[in-house]
Amino acid sequence: MRLLSAPFEPGAGAPPRPPLRAFAGTGIAAALVVGIGAVAEMLGVPPAGLGRALAMGAVHAGLIGLGWLLATGAAPGWPGPVVRLGVAMTLAPVAARLIPWGALAFAMMPVLLLIEAHRRPALRALGLVGCRPRHALAGVAAGGFLGAHVLITASLTFGHRAHTSSLAAYGAALAYDLGANVLSAEWLFRGAVFSWGWRRFTFWPAALVSTALALLRYLLDPALPHAAEARAGAIFYLGLVGLVACALRAWSGSLLPGYLAGLAFFAAYRTLAP
Amino acid sequence: MITPSLALVAVLAAVMVLTGQGADSVLRHLYLVPTVWVALRRGAVAGGLIGALAGLLHAPVVLPAVERHGLTSQTLDGFLSLGLPVLTGLLVGYLADGARTRAARLSAVLAIQRRLAEPGPLQAALAGVAQELRATLGARRVAVLVGRDVQTALLASVPVGALVDPGSAGAFTLATGEPVMSRDLRADPRIWSDSPPEPTPLRALAVPLVSGVGVIGMMAVEWAGELSRTTRAAAEELAVHVGLAVENARLTLRQQRFAEELAEKVEAATARLRELDQAKTEFLSVVSHELRTPLTALQGFSELLLRSTLPPEKAHRCLVYLHTEACTLGRIVGELLDLSRIEAGRPLELHPEPVDLDALLERNVEMFAAEHRHHRFEWTRSAPGLALRADPDALDRMMKNLLSNAVKYSPRGGRVVVSASPAPDRPGMVEVAVEDDGVGIPAEQLPRIFDKYVRVAHPETTAARGLGLGLSLVKALAEAHGGRVEVDSLPGKGSRFRLLLPEVDGQF
Repeated sequence: MRLLSAPFEPGAGAPPRPPLRAFAGTGIAAALVVGIGAVAEMLGVPPAGLGRALAMGAVHAGLIGLGWLLATGAAPGWPGPVVRLGVAMTLAPVAARLIPWGALAFAMMPVLLLIEAHRRPALRALGLVGCRPRHALAGVAAGGFLGAHVLITASLTFGHRAHTSSLAAYGAALAYDLGANVLSAEWLFRGAVFSWGWRRFTFWPAALVSTALALLRYLLDPALPHAAEARAGAIFYLGLVGLVACALRAWSGSLLPGYLAGLAFFAAYRTLAP
Repeated sequence: MITPSLALVAVLAAVMVLTGQGADSVLRHLYLVPTVWVALRRGAVAGGLIGALAGLLHAPVVLPAVERHGLTSQTLDGFLSLGLPVLTGLLVGYLADGARTRAARLSAVLAIQRRLAEPGPLQAALAGVAQELRATLGARRVAVLVGRDVQTALLASVPVGALVDPGSAGAFTLATGEPVMSRDLRADPRIWSDSPPEPTPLRALAVPLVSGVGVIGMMAVEWAGELSRTTRAAAEELAVHVGLAVENARLTLRQQRFAEELAEKVEAATARLRELDQAKTEFLSVVSHELRTPLTALQGFSELLLRSTLPPEKAHRCLVYLHTEACTLGRIVGELLDLSRIEAGRPLELHPEPVDLDALLERNVEMFAAEHRHHRFEWTRSAPGLALRADPDALDRMMKNLLSNAVKYSPRGGRVVVSASPAPDRPGMVEVAVEDDGVGIPAEQLPRIFDKYVRVAHPETTAARGLGLGLSLVKALAEAHGGRVEVDSLPGKGSRFRLLLPEVDGQF
C-alpha cells in the first residue's frame, strides 16, 4: 500500500508549471499553416480545395500536438513526435484531396500515434491501453444509439434523409473521422484534458470542462452548418457524445470505447443529408 | 435490474410510436416508473441513465411538434417531459444513494463495534474491521494501524501484507494527526513513485484514529477511479468511530486484565490468610500444650514438696525437675516474647560482646550429649584466631534451637556434628554448622522452614514437641547480627544448617 510504504514529502505539493512556450510554439506553427491554407483557398490555388485541406490538417495537427504537450508536460524530446505527427496529420487531408484513395492516409494516423506513444510509457495515463470486449461493445452501442437517434430525430423534425451520394465520399468521410476528427477529439479532449482533470478533481468537473472544450472546437469549425437548429442539434448531440465518451473512458480506463462511440456516431451522422 | 427497465422503456417507446401518440400523450408519464424503480434500487447514475434514455426515446416525438407548432403550452409540456425523467432519476437516485450510504455507514459502525468487542487478540479484531471498512467504502485497499509508534503499532490490512515505512504518508498522519489526501497516488508529487501514472487514478486517504487521549492510530484507504465527497466524508466519519471503538476495546481489555489480576491476588491473599489462620490455630494448640506440660510438672512436684516431707535426696531430685521445667517454661516464654517483638516490627534487643565461641559450642554440645544418650555428638574446634562479636544469650539460643532440631528430627538417634570455621564461600563470615543424618526436609518445604509456625510433618517425628518458632527465631537473630542462616537437606539423608555471622578483626 503506497500510502504506507512510499516515502512522503509534505511540502512537495507544487504542481509543475504548464509548458506555455511549447503550447505557444505549437499553436503558432499550426496557426501559420492554417493561415497559409486559408490564403491559398482565398487565392484559389489549384487544385480546388487544397488550401482548405491544408488548413484542416493543420487544425487537427495542432490538436494532436497540444494533447501531446498537455499529457507529457513538454518532457524533453517533445518536438520530435509532435512535428512528425503534425506533418503527417497536415499531409493526410492533402493526400486525400490530391491522390485517388489518398484518404487512406487518414487510416495511418492512429497507427502512427500509437507508434509514437508506445515509446513513452507516461502516455498510458491518457488511456492508451486496450479494453475489454464489453467496454468496446458498449462504446459502439452508445455511439450507434446516438447516431440512430440523430437520424430519426432529424428525419422526423426536418425531413432529412439517410443516404450517401457515393460510397467513395462516404468512405473518405469515415476515414477522416477515423484518422483526424474523432482521433484528435479523443486524444485531446478525453485523453489529455479529461484524464488530467479527472486525476486532479472528480468526474463531473473534468467531464464538463472537456466536453465544453470539445463543443467549442466543433462550433468554431467552419464546416458546421450555420443554421440555428443545426447548431442546437450539434451542441446537444456532440455534448452527449462527449459526456458518454468521458463516462466510457472513466469506466473502462481506455480511450478505445469512446473512440468507437465517436466513430459509430459519425458513421451514422455522415449518412444524413437534407 | 437495469435490463428489464431498459426493455420496459423501449416497449413504451415502441407502443407510443405504433399507436401514433403525440408529444402530450399520457403514456409518457409511464417512463417515470422504470426510472424511479431503477433509481431506488441502483442509485443516481443508473436512475439518471434510464431517465436520459426515456427522454431521448421521447425526443423524436416531441421535437417535430416543437418544429411544427413552435413553443406552445402543449409543446412546452412535451419539451419539459424530455428532461423530467432524467431529473427524477437523478434526484430519486441521489436520495436513495444517501439513505443507502447512511444505512451502510450505520451498519458498518455496528459491525466494527461488534468486531472490536469480540473476545480475542486485538490484531484479529482489526483485520475484521479492515474488511468491514473495505466493503463499506468500496475501497481497493484498507489498512488500520493502532499505536503511536510505527515500529511497534498493530497493523491489519486488506489485502494482507501491507508494510509501514517511517517516512510514509501514513507515518506522517500518525505523527501529526493531520489527514493526507491524494487524488492520484502515482501522480502526487508529495509521494515517491517509481512508475508512471495509470489510466485510472488511485485515490488515497490517510486519516488519524482519534480518541479522548489523542491520536491512537491511523487508517489508510485506497480507491481506484472515482472518489465522491460522500465516500470521503464516510471514511472520515468511520475513522472517528474506529478510533473510539479501538479505545473502548483497549479499555475493556485492560479492565479485564486488571480484574483477572485482582481476582488472582485476592485468591492468593485468601489462601494465605487461610493458611495463617490454620497455623495460628495449630500454634495456639501447640503453645497450650507446650505451656501445660512444664506447668503440670511444676504443680505436681511443688504439691509433692508442700504436702509431704521427703527425704533430702528425693526432695533434691524434685527440685532438679522443678528447675528443669522452669527453664523450659522460661525458654518458651522467651521465644514468645521474641515472636511478639518480631511481629510488632520492633528490633530484637541484643547486647553484643566478644564471644568465646569454642566454650559456647562445647557447653551446648555437652549439655545435649548428656540429655540425649541415643545421639552421638561430635564437634570440631574452630580454627585459631576466629573472633566473633555477638550477643552471647542470642547465640546460645540459636545453638540450642539448631541442636534441638537436629535431635528432634533424628528420632532414631544418630550423629550430630557441630563445627565452626571461616565460611569458605563467604569471605569475612564465620560459619557455625550443625549437621545431622536424620529424616531430612523435602525440597518443596525448604523455602518455608524459616517461616513462623511452620513445622515439617514426618511420620517418624510426630511426637516431637515445639512451637514451630525455633528456625524463624534463629533467622531473625542471625539477621539482627548482620548474618544469615542457610540449609542443605536431602530427605532420608539428613540436614546441614549453616549459621553465618560476621567475623571481627582481632583475637580474644
